[in-house]
Amino acid sequence: MKKLIALTLALAMCLSLVSFSAFADDTVKITILVDGTIPDQNNGRDAFEARWEELHPGFDLEIWQPDHSAYYTDMQQRMVSGNYPDVLILSSTYYADFARNGVLWDMTEAWENSKTKNSGRFTGDNVFEGLKIDGKLYGFAPTRGNGCVTYVKKAWLDAVGMEAPKTFDDYIKMCEAFVNNDPDGNGQADTYAISAAGFIGNEAPFINYLPEFYQDAYPYFVQQEDGTWIDGFLTDTMKAALERLRDAYAKGLIDPDTLTNSTAQARTKFYDDKFGVFTYWAGTWATNLKTNLEANGRSGELIALPPLEGVPAYFDRVPPVWAITNKCANPQLVFDTFIDTMLDGGDCQMLFTYGPENVYYSFEGGFHMLENLEKAGTNYTKFHIDPMLALASFAEGYYDPKEESVLPEAKAASALFNENSRLASIVPATEVMGEYNGQLTTLKNEMVANVIMGVKTYDQALADFQAAGGDIFSAAIVESLNALN
Amino acid sequence: MQKQAKVINNKKPLGPRIRKYWQFYLLFIPVLAFVIIFHYLPMYGIVYGFTEYKVGMTPKFVGLDQFRKLFGIVASDASEATKMLAARKSQPFWLAFQNTIVFSVIKLLLNTGFAVIISIFLNEMISTKFKKVTQTIIYLPHFMSWVVTASVFTLLLAVGQSGLVNNLRRSVGLEAVNFLAEPGQWKIWYYIINVWRETGWQTIIFMATLTSIDPGLYEAAAMDGAGRWKKMQYVTFPALGNTIITVLILNLAKIMNLFESVFVLQNDAVRNATNVLQTLVYYEAFNSGAVPDLGYSVAIGLFRSIVGLVLMLICNYASKKVRGRGIM
Repeated sequence: MKKLIALTLALAMCLSLVSFSAFADDTVKITILVDGTIPDQNNGRDAFEARWEELHPGFDLEIWQPDHSAYYTDMQQRMVSGNYPDVLILSSTYYADFARNGVLWDMTEAWENSKTKNSGRFTGDNVFEGLKIDGKLYGFAPTRGNGCVTYVKKAWLDAVGMEAPKTFDDYIKMCEAFVNNDPDGNGQADTYAISAAGFIGNEAPFINYLPEFYQDAYPYFVQQEDGTWIDGFLTDTMKAALERLRDAYAKGLIDPDTLTNSTAQARTKFYDDKFGVFTYWAGTWATNLKTNLEANGRSGELIALPPLEGVPAYFDRVPPVWAITNKCANPQLVFDTFIDTMLDGGDCQMLFTYGPENVYYSFEGGFHMLENLEKAGTNYTKFHIDPMLALASFAEGYYDPKEESVLPEAKAASALFNENSRLASIVPATEVMGEYNGQLTTLKNEMVANVIMGVKTYDQALADFQAAGGDIFSAAIVESLNALN
Repeated sequence: MQKQAKVINNKKPLGPRIRKYWQFYLLFIPVLAFVIIFHYLPMYGIVYGFTEYKVGMTPKFVGLDQFRKLFGIVASDASEATKMLAARKSQPFWLAFQNTIVFSVIKLLLNTGFAVIISIFLNEMISTKFKKVTQTIIYLPHFMSWVVTASVFTLLLAVGQSGLVNNLRRSVGLEAVNFLAEPGQWKIWYYIINVWRETGWQTIIFMATLTSIDPGLYEAAAMDGAGRWKKMQYVTFPALGNTIITVLILNLAKIMNLFESVFVLQNDAVRNATNVLQTLVYYEAFNSGAVPDLGYSVAIGLFRSIVGLVLMLICNYASKKVRGRGIM
């Protein structure tokens, strides 16, 4: 009897395998590794996947999405264990290094022959030129990189009886008034003018949260007009920038917790009227800031400042790119199916821009974005592609809901940014950079923090920086960059 | 002890034992497989410590170069500039190594010390209800993630208006202090936060010991005229002694595993001074502006493991001396 049962079970198992394989069809699977720039499963990702597969019959989209903040750690772990996706999203740092080292598929030819490039709707040639590594293209950016603009609370300006500043001196006067003249009208001296998530950013363009102070200084490697490289951190412009920040910090204009603020903490303080000047992302974030202020019972009217006199322009960062790995079995097919349709001017672009219908937007009673599934009281503003940053318009005759979906403040902030921004460039990654730049960055950031908070004078901090080898690491990296010329 | 040793020496060879107790060995197979698959097979990764290896690229064997880099060793005929670069490159490594040991040992001593004191207080409590409530409250922080713990303390220690500690200082006329931005202050608060989070949990083991003390000993001490302090001195402390040593020894073996608690509390102003080996590896890997060389990270990890192994052997030896049996 036992033998009979065992035989039956074994037979059933074999049959189930046969039947499973019989049901397996010729579906082509495309695996993508993506960070939080594609909304997660709590925010309609499954509906997006289903719609994408509906638009691409015969393809199965498999999304690997680690936690946004652990994306690059996860990516490396997967790749070290040989678990490569077909497509992945990369920041400029990884893009440049992976491309140089043959990890990515060269899509130059595919791009030249692509429907998107030859559609007549594509407007991002300059962006794509900036993405080329040694003349070849390894990544596709559906949007510009975007950057930050400085927002000032209109209600605070009105309360202190001032106009939006145009020069740095006026800017400082406004900041002083925001600290000393009780702009929130609560009768207490409990406001700061400025706050941010750190004094210096962790990735290029580094200075985008405090541009009024950094002005023409740049703390990273910069290629000069003659093609040679320098470390902008060790220039007089950087010294002047740090001194401006130190003075403002000493006057109490900058939130003293800027050093330890996370981005979310800085935003929350802005919504809570703890400070009045916030440099943050242009475009749809203008709407997010406004609606969150209003949700807190504050005035949501914000003025986006054009760059002050002396500030060259805001930085348009190098956009993250979609790249195909060299382990992809059929890169041309993946390019044609996944990448070249992202800006197809039709249903797929609609999906990537506005998300799945009835989850992100609805046509009932006219086009409108729907309420955020996780944050009640706020509406979605986009899915993956910011409609104001897209590098291709919708096809003629296809309904583009941009006018209805993008609110005026977002349009205004975006327009101001586009008129007043400069494109950040990719700094090539060298072996020497890989060896010393981690340590150098730690030393630079420490010096910035110590000078601004008045722990050390610039000269003392520089001496410590040099004693720890900062200057020789910097020189070695500059030499390695110049050797590429 | 001699008897036990004799039994071991008279063991039958493995083959006959397996045949005789095959059912037990069969049950042991899943555990053995688990250990081999998840503990021993990944050790193959050690070989990357002897290579230059970036994600997506083929590893290149470089012998002991990664370790030379780690220790700042260069060929004697290398240029002065190369020697200088190597020396500076290895500086943070040694500082991080020192921090790993110092932070861990101080943390361990403080946590154990406070756990013992609190356990004794709890043991002396007469009201069972109050004791249970207190125990529950002090166990709770252990269940908070380090990220949440760091967020809470960053807020409490903030220099701005949200900082409770600095508001208290201001209210008594003292100046606000940026506790987490100055390495000396940071270290003090690091220990305080660790004690706050872990001490309660550690009291469990000491409470277990205390409750297992024979009440007759206290009664006898009372009959001999001992007061509360004398009872503690002659009954409680000796009973706890063996447990304290056991806890210290067991934890000593783990002192190289320090990452999360340090990482979440660091900021730009103190990072260099407070790095431990694992945070150093992290920043070397993710702040470089280039795809990290995993070979270098593995070399640091391997060094850490070797130090951990040596500590473990020392602890095992100490344990055998103190408790009569090893920890492995």
